[in-house]
Amino acid sequence: MKSVLTVRRRITVALALTLVALVAAPTLLVPKMAPAAEELKIALVVPLSGRWARQGQLKKMGAEMAIAEINAQGGIKALGGAKIVLREADAGDSVEKAVSAAQRALSREKISAGIGSWLSSFTLGVTEVAERLEVPWFTLSYADNITERGFKYTFQSSPVSSVQAEQALELLVEIAKRNNAPLKKAAIVGDNTAATVFFFKPLREKLLKAKGIEIVVDEVWTPPLADATAIVQKLRATQPDIMFYGATNFPDSIQVLQKIKEFGVKTPIQGVGAWLVTPEYVKAVGPELLDNIKTVVAAHPLKGQDELVKRFKERTGEPFMTQDPLMSYAHVWIIKEAAERAKSTDPKAIREAVSKLDLTSGPAASTLTPGRIRYDERGRRIGAAPIIVQWQKGEPFTVAPTELATRTLVWQTK
Amino acid sequence: MSVGDLLQYLVTGLLVGGVYALMSIGLGLIFGVMRVVNFAQGDFMMLGMYLTYFLATGYGVDPLLGAVVIIPPFFLLGLGVHRALLVRVTGGGDPQRLMDAQLILTLGLSLIITNATTMLLTPMPRGIKTAYATQAFVVGPVLLNQARSYAFLMALLLAGAVYLFLTRTDLGKALRAAADEPEAAGYQGIDVRAMHGLAFGIGIALVAAAGGLLATYHPIEPTVAVNFIVLMFVAVVVGGLGSIPGAFAGGLMIGLVQSLTLLVLPFQLQNVGVFIAFLLVLYLRPQGLFGQRLRAV
Repeated sequence: MKSVLTVRRRITVALALTLVALVAAPTLLVPKMAPAAEELKIALVVPLSGRWARQGQLKKMGAEMAIAEINAQGGIKALGGAKIVLREADAGDSVEKAVSAAQRALSREKISAGIGSWLSSFTLGVTEVAERLEVPWFTLSYADNITERGFKYTFQSSPVSSVQAEQALELLVEIAKRNNAPLKKAAIVGDNTAATVFFFKPLREKLLKAKGIEIVVDEVWTPPLADATAIVQKLRATQPDIMFYGATNFPDSIQVLQKIKEFGVKTPIQGVGAWLVTPEYVKAVGPELLDNIKTVVAAHPLKGQDELVKRFKERTGEPFMTQDPLMSYAHVWIIKEAAERAKSTDPKAIREAVSKLDLTSGPAASTLTPGRIRYDERGRRIGAAPIIVQWQKGEPFTVAPTELATRTLVWQTK
Repeated sequence: MSVGDLLQYLVTGLLVGGVYALMSIGLGLIFGVMRVVNFAQGDFMMLGMYLTYFLATGYGVDPLLGAVVIIPPFFLLGLGVHRALLVRVTGGGDPQRLMDAQLILTLGLSLIITNATTMLLTPMPRGIKTAYATQAFVVGPVLLNQARSYAFLMALLLAGAVYLFLTRTDLGKALRAAADEPEAAGYQGIDVRAMHGLAFGIGIALVAAAGGLLATYHPIEPTVAVNFIVLMFVAVVVGGLGSIPGAFAGGLMIGLVQSLTLLVLPFQLQNVGVFIAFLLVLYLRPQGLFGQRLRAV
């Protein structure tokens, strides 16, 4: 009888101890998980699922690299070495999902600044949330109207679509002249997502006409594209000197490129956006099909950035670095510099600091042209200029402006 | 617009439609026999594309062959999914409640497959580089894309094989009996549940094969299904719910309409043509092109 009691007692004691351990465990863990007020939290709202997930993944790689570097160097010095942490949220594949992801990310805890959301259509929605909750928001999206709404908390680091169109056309016309192949006929081919629409609009309405270039093909579709035959048939019939190309959806773009090869069309391709220089293009269509294709982007590795690119490649295993990781890398550094000046993790204070920022050195400034980070009262980065990138033997290189180029542009003639 | 151009549009439409047709007959068969609307059909197609891709890149299997090689494993997968999940929501009981459960099950399955694939294989798009994707047969003024032509022929062959199976074999006849009159089929000694499994297995295998053919020229990503699932449903409804030749004709029709729409409407409205044709068919022939009128008044 006695022994039975002892056993029971032992079981009771063991159970009680387990219970105590279970109750105590979370309290032991909490201090490790959240050392309050010692971290600066950045929200990254980008597509991590759906058809643009790859771009979101690339952006995340850039942001994580910057954060790792900053934290390794001792964090934010003005805040006693505060570490930066990334809070990522999935913007999914629709504006509604992007907006609710931003809403959740920004209202769950104190976020000092945000980055996102790649596709201009998403950014338009997400920045409304950021504006309402007064959190400074950094974006690489191109669409003009992102910074035409009088928002105080939106910072657009890329040159806007219409500026890209204008400046890129200037560059192209000049290069064509130098190569004795003046541009006379142009084709406009692409989807109707926001950034592409804003790029094509000024081309169609005034820029091409002003340069005496006639538009011979103008085909715009809603993704996904069922078949590219009709478009390429028109290209073959009209033989334009240049094709402005904006197919943000990867399968659509691949179809058009394959069809161009199939129909033997030799029109030089000028893409609009960084979607055309992701590594998967090489795997899907091979380097030969890509050779000489050019695209206008907001950022790309420039002359003298070999060290940065090398670090990125080692860290991620990606074959090269492109606009998306470069921009989020720069954005994290900009937020860090702003926090140093604001001496606070308060989003409003950081917004104030960003608006007064004028960086001419350091990782952020050296990543983006023209080597200086300043934003105007609308939130547009002053001096942001487009870069022309060209595929050469399976890798995209900066070819214009010439002083920042890592390769010489190869002018392709029909 | 020259005659050559018009011919090119027609041929392109037919070639595109061939693969739509193969995708759709799987869906049509599953609906015809089991009365289940399978929202995960497109995701099985995506899995078929990936398996063909891995066979091509890992073992050098040509995707046209790969599309056939993957039929048996996907048939077994279909049987397995039926045995494990669908059997719980089909065959007997309140039809309305069953319908709800089926919708939730297949939609859930679709979400799980898409997201699990995104997690495991990353969202990065992949493609099989084939020489024939960028080459064409030249027939007079018309260019026939080689990949699409091969895919079209394979689709015809597979669809023909399914048709022969359904009409000429005892098993096929049993399947049709189970579809037309499950109760009477049961009295005749046909195992209706097994027939459901068979239909689901064949339906999944066919859509996976269509995926394999599609992979010869279309990039592969976890979300590729969304581009096709709506078209598959339209094809099945236009053809007549449950009719296999109907689903095939519906698929071809969608390809043709998509292509010919461009003669009169801008590119942005390409699928508007498809849905106008869809509405017209529903208005003029509600039972679909090959469907039977069930409730004539």
